[in-house]
Amino acid sequence: MDLSVELCGVKFSNPFVLSAGPPTDDVKMIRRAFEAGWAGAILKTTSVESEVVELVYPMMAGLDFEDKKLIGLGNIDLISEHHIDEVEGRVAELKKEFPNNVVGASIMGAKKEDWQTLVRRLEAAGVDLIECSFSCPQGSMGEKPGAMVAQDPQLTKEVAGWVKAAAKRVPVFIKITPMVADVVEVGRAVKESGADGITASNTIPSLMGINLDTFEPYPSVDGKSSYSGLSGAAIKPITLHIIAELAKNVGLPISGTGGATTWQDVVEFMLVGATNVQFCTAVMRNGHRIIDDLKDGLTNYLDDKGMSGPSELIGQTLPKIVTHPELSREYKVVAEVNRKTCVKDDLCYITCRDAGHEAIELDKERLPVLDEEKCVGCGLCVAICPVWDCVKLKRVEKKEKK
Amino acid sequence: MAKRQEPPTLSPEERVKSFEEVEGVYLPHQAIAEAARCLFCHDAPCNKDCPAGIDIVKFIRRIKTKDFRSAIRAVRESNILAGVCARVCPTEKLCEKACSSTELTEPINIAALQRFVTDTEMQKGITPSAKAEPTGKKVAVTGSGPAGLAAAAELARAGHAVTIFEAKPLPGGVLTYGIPLYRLPKEVVIAEIDCIKQLGVEIKTDTPIDEKLNIDALFDQGFDAIFIATGVGKPYFVRMPGEDLEGVYSALELLSQVRVHYSKPSRGEFPLKIGIKALVIGGGNVAMDAACSFLRLGAEEVHVVCLESFEEMPAFPSEIEFAKEEGIVFHPRSKPLRIIGDENGRVKGFEGVGIRWKEPNNFSPSNAVPIEGTEFSLDVDTVVEAIGQGPDPSLAQALPGVETKGRGLIVVDEETRMTSRKGVFAGGDSVNGGDTVVQAIAEGKKAADGINKYLKSI
Repeated sequence: MDLSVELCGVKFSNPFVLSAGPPTDDVKMIRRAFEAGWAGAILKTTSVESEVVELVYPMMAGLDFEDKKLIGLGNIDLISEHHIDEVEGRVAELKKEFPNNVVGASIMGAKKEDWQTLVRRLEAAGVDLIECSFSCPQGSMGEKPGAMVAQDPQLTKEVAGWVKAAAKRVPVFIKITPMVADVVEVGRAVKESGADGITASNTIPSLMGINLDTFEPYPSVDGKSSYSGLSGAAIKPITLHIIAELAKNVGLPISGTGGATTWQDVVEFMLVGATNVQFCTAVMRNGHRIIDDLKDGLTNYLDDKGMSGPSELIGQTLPKIVTHPELSREYKVVAEVNRKTCVKDDLCYITCRDAGHEAIELDKERLPVLDEEKCVGCGLCVAICPVWDCVKLKRVEKKEKK
Repeated sequence: MAKRQEPPTLSPEERVKSFEEVEGVYLPHQAIAEAARCLFCHDAPCNKDCPAGIDIVKFIRRIKTKDFRSAIRAVRESNILAGVCARVCPTEKLCEKACSSTELTEPINIAALQRFVTDTEMQKGITPSAKAEPTGKKVAVTGSGPAGLAAAAELARAGHAVTIFEAKPLPGGVLTYGIPLYRLPKEVVIAEIDCIKQLGVEIKTDTPIDEKLNIDALFDQGFDAIFIATGVGKPYFVRMPGEDLEGVYSALELLSQVRVHYSKPSRGEFPLKIGIKALVIGGGNVAMDAACSFLRLGAEEVHVVCLESFEEMPAFPSEIEFAKEEGIVFHPRSKPLRIIGDENGRVKGFEGVGIRWKEPNNFSPSNAVPIEGTEFSLDVDTVVEAIGQGPDPSLAQALPGVETKGRGLIVVDEETRMTSRKGVFAGGDSVNGGDTVVQAIAEGKKAADGINKYLKSI
């Protein structure tokens, strides 16, 4: 199966790319990733030599849920400590060694001259695409410390315009933040700037938690912390929403990123409009080797679907995402409990009684019995039931209104 | 931490009623839950402890991501008999013993996960993996047990024309004539052998190698290399009074007859004359299989007499536990003295004596010293001896120029697996004297490797 995709004229041998972050801040690590089968990598965000980048440690804090470790990861990392003088050398070295892999570079500048210098030097070094970080949760450089460029549509248009004007050979992507009131407005600003695509989207500003003994927030740097950027599986639904909104309303090519962990996630990202998908936290957690699982999983899936390549997936779900008033009022489902598989935890009963429509009673054997008159088919019991193949929704004929 | 998922299993009371498979298979959500317990260690110790070389951590990752097709491919590419091994491998001594999760909770149930993927595959039919272009080379494999089958599959994949010569009417060796159905259903064996046939391997059954059809004759027929995997088919006996009585059998004979008889869709009377009070002599896995099979044949009482204590017995702890659960009566650290017959020449009893070891850690019969005053007798009507087996001595005539040692085990080069005769390779029980199925598979694969290199060199 040919898994290749094309994004703004750049060919990727598969849709799996390492995003700008810790796994792409070192040539050795990227080399291993390319050898393992990753199609491309966006080097960790670099800047002009005069910028001072001082990292603090510890910078990572995991988000666990019950016994599951790391359903999300928060970081107070900054851009790379490696400036353009080093990064341009890395780009050249990687392109020489891996001409068929995509080497992108993420950049951040404080002023027009910086942004444009970075683009020119990276193009000269042989980079395949430029990604602009407008969305680091620690804030962008420039006049408003702590604010992100991508939270201001006007500024986004202006800065993206500078970068696009300087880029003569390679496409320019703007990496946006989901932390805005209207992501479509930002997306349109990117489009108006002339930039080629959108990377959607960055980590989400978060507070990872607090040590209950010391009251120190995580990750605690000598007793204090700042807000983290949250990544990982926990943010996938937010990313899907952002990609879908941009795909439906802006019409620029999208590189999806934010919470993809498995090949199934990649399929979902593509179904709502992404052309390729960037990974970071999943690799930080399980290493480059997950590329095998991703490639094989996607190949088998496409094969089962009778599709010739991943591009066939792009945007397929978009027509099925509508506004709430457009949803059918003629459709009624009710819950159905499989009495054979039920283990009598009665969780469906509790939730329906205390948070639903009091549509479930228990019989003498403590098995749930559904009152189809009362059940509105909200789906809460299905979401809660811990048993495989037990509670399901079934479609019923809509009743005439009295 | 999440608990280890156990597949559905028949209770001891249920399972002794028939030869039905004891252990069931996971439902998909159980398999995913179990796979999700895996830590996905970098330097996966489970992988290193799989003799067949399965990339275990990879196939578990594929289950976790619900890519069952890739999971089966990861298993199959290393082990053509993966469904068999999922059932008979002593995983508690191999991959699961090595599992890092053990230190957190319990090891990942690797056997059950492998069983899940191979069962899922079998529902659709096993697809053989890709084959190399034909090399024009011919290889003869003698014996279709696990070693022979594994080697044949590897050689066929490498593009050679492979013919297996099997003495028995059905292929599979110990898989078809030894391991009881309640541990290994015949459908699994048949499906995996069919897959090997689909790779182009020809299996000539009822065709033993012997004085006439010896390795010279095989070379004359145009075979470029020969792999000997004839196993250990000759049962040993204690050599005590009463062994000639009616009702004394070797475990090999009993298990073979049981396997064949209960594989038939309609069957008459069981061909061996057995009673209702059985004794098995021996402390290995074969003895456990024989004892538990007796229960399923309807025996009311089954005894096991063996020289070793429970800790010393060569049977896997899980097998001993299994037999105990079913109510087998053990007489450990006991030595058989004689079998008593009735006036019609049938077994009617047994006498043994308790022992101690002369030297420590030497469990050979010659090291056992009877303890005076511990003589005991058992009222039994059938005796099965399961004290070990060796290569069939008559096979020597089929293997001119092949060096053997000790009780007739074939000598091979550790690296190439070639015997003293050029172009003749060997592996499995006929070399190692009797080990696990997975060890035989490992040796078959390794020999195939040696044969490939040899065929390239000639």
